[in-house]
Amino acid sequence: MKRYPCSGCSLLCDDIIVKSDGLFIDEVIGACLKGKERFDQVSAQNRITSPMIRKNDELINTSWEEALAKTVEIIKNSSAPLLYGFSNVTCEAQRAGMDLAREINGFIDSNASICQGKILNKAKAQGINLTTITEIINKVDLIILWGANPAETIPRLLNKVLFSRGKFRMTGREIKTLVIIDPVKTASFNVMGVRDLALIIEPDKDIELIQMLKEECCSADSIPSGGVAGVDKNDLKRLLLHLTGAENGVIILGQGVIQPHADYDLMEELLDLLQLINTRQVKGRISLLLLGGHFNMAGFDHVALSSYGVSGKLQFESKKLVKSEDTIISKINKENFDCSIIVGTDPISHLPHSLSSKLAKKPLILIDNHNSATSRIADIVLPTAITGIESSGLAYRIDQVPVELKKILNPPNNIPSDEELLNQLIEKLNGGAK
Amino acid sequence: MDFLLNTMRKIDNDQVKEHSFGNKQSLEENLAISFINPKDFDKLNLVSSLHLKISNNQRNIIVKIEKDDNVPEGTITMPVSIWSNQLTEILNDELVYKNIVVSVEATREPILKFEEIIQKIRGIE
Repeated sequence: MKRYPCSGCSLLCDDIIVKSDGLFIDEVIGACLKGKERFDQVSAQNRITSPMIRKNDELINTSWEEALAKTVEIIKNSSAPLLYGFSNVTCEAQRAGMDLAREINGFIDSNASICQGKILNKAKAQGINLTTITEIINKVDLIILWGANPAETIPRLLNKVLFSRGKFRMTGREIKTLVIIDPVKTASFNVMGVRDLALIIEPDKDIELIQMLKEECCSADSIPSGGVAGVDKNDLKRLLLHLTGAENGVIILGQGVIQPHADYDLMEELLDLLQLINTRQVKGRISLLLLGGHFNMAGFDHVALSSYGVSGKLQFESKKLVKSEDTIISKINKENFDCSIIVGTDPISHLPHSLSSKLAKKPLILIDNHNSATSRIADIVLPTAITGIESSGLAYRIDQVPVELKKILNPPNNIPSDEELLNQLIEKLNGGAK
Repeated sequence: MDFLLNTMRKIDNDQVKEHSFGNKQSLEENLAISFINPKDFDKLNLVSSLHLKISNNQRNIIVKIEKDDNVPEGTITMPVSIWSNQLTEILNDELVYKNIVVSVEATREPILKFEEIIQKIRGIE
């Protein structure tokens, strides 16, 4: 039995015990439901283990030679390829994806740009206090889940940060206050104790709460008697006391807060509030942790920044990085692409119909290891090994800490890793030389 | 009747799990589903054999409906999936997954099938 990091989600738990003879996984101990599902994917009934190509409107198994030749043909016929996904692959594969995008003068972006990457980009303008899981375990006395439901998205996060005993504190859960701000009473509410604060806010009224907190920050005297956004006055007073009295607090942000609005920017308002609290707070500080589900969602920005000096999306022309105002959304929306290479994600499921229907109109090459809605419309499907089980590499945890994923088994049919496959494509496009 | 649609990740209604381990039946069973406050359930004169037709300006879907005390009145929640994303929107080049205004009505029509959605996405109506 050996200890391995888990690639089931972006928490990358490094305490999972796996019993394996190198051919099969016999036992997995300590993984959550998502982690167990990740290990079960090795033998999932809908696993893709052979390349497939669409003929007569049906995806059929084919040889690697034919699949790669057809892929190269599509790419060579393309003048505006789009590369998207890359949050479920290693940093090495992300780098290979960027190299491929440069080689074929493409636009590349990751799932982070429609998720946690959005707030990171906004935070650049005014600075941001991020924190690490270890900091939260050791020091935090206030945890605020705002529009976030880690109990169902990052299942072991609360085990680690809430039910833990910090190195620098005499006590653990007893001194940690949990505040949840959400319009829906999610599964995360089930861990709340008597001293915690559940704030069921009216849907789409976060802005009212933030503006009140900004106005009343450090002073609870003039909170409207009727409360704000459906939250009771006394609860608001308690929230203010926690925000201004915590020695070390963290706001864990989920999708609920990073939604766009026509008249205001909720994320900027929240970042302003954070700055305000930290300026006025004499005792401690509040930091942020951004929830992103895919196991290496944080990695893409690190790789883009270290490789090309910019974070997020990259547009290449004449094999050079150029400035572009486009986003993955605007590219697809304006149909400013003529083929797509989708890596480790399922945009046909997770994008709105107006975008998925445009993506489906153009040739689509999918690199993934299991069936999805995207594989149902793909022209070519190239299977890869399951990262963190059948291939190794670096990934960035939810709190931007790098974790080395390890290989436990060989993949079936000697299918390549994402990195190997992307490098093979570059070689084929170059007629054999990388 | 108008509602706010919120899509959210739910561990028991997970699209990756269904695509990896399930089949078309389990996919529809676990993802073509919506949750509504029991008071709204009564207001819509729903019964368990009826389905819910949820529409925005351009499209509609028909899904199963379940009562859930945790969902606020005036709101419908759905797991993130190809069904809910037939109704999600774009605003200023950003995706809107929450608080989408939709109109809903009870219906006896069958649940929208996965293959029907795929055909619509491919432009084969």
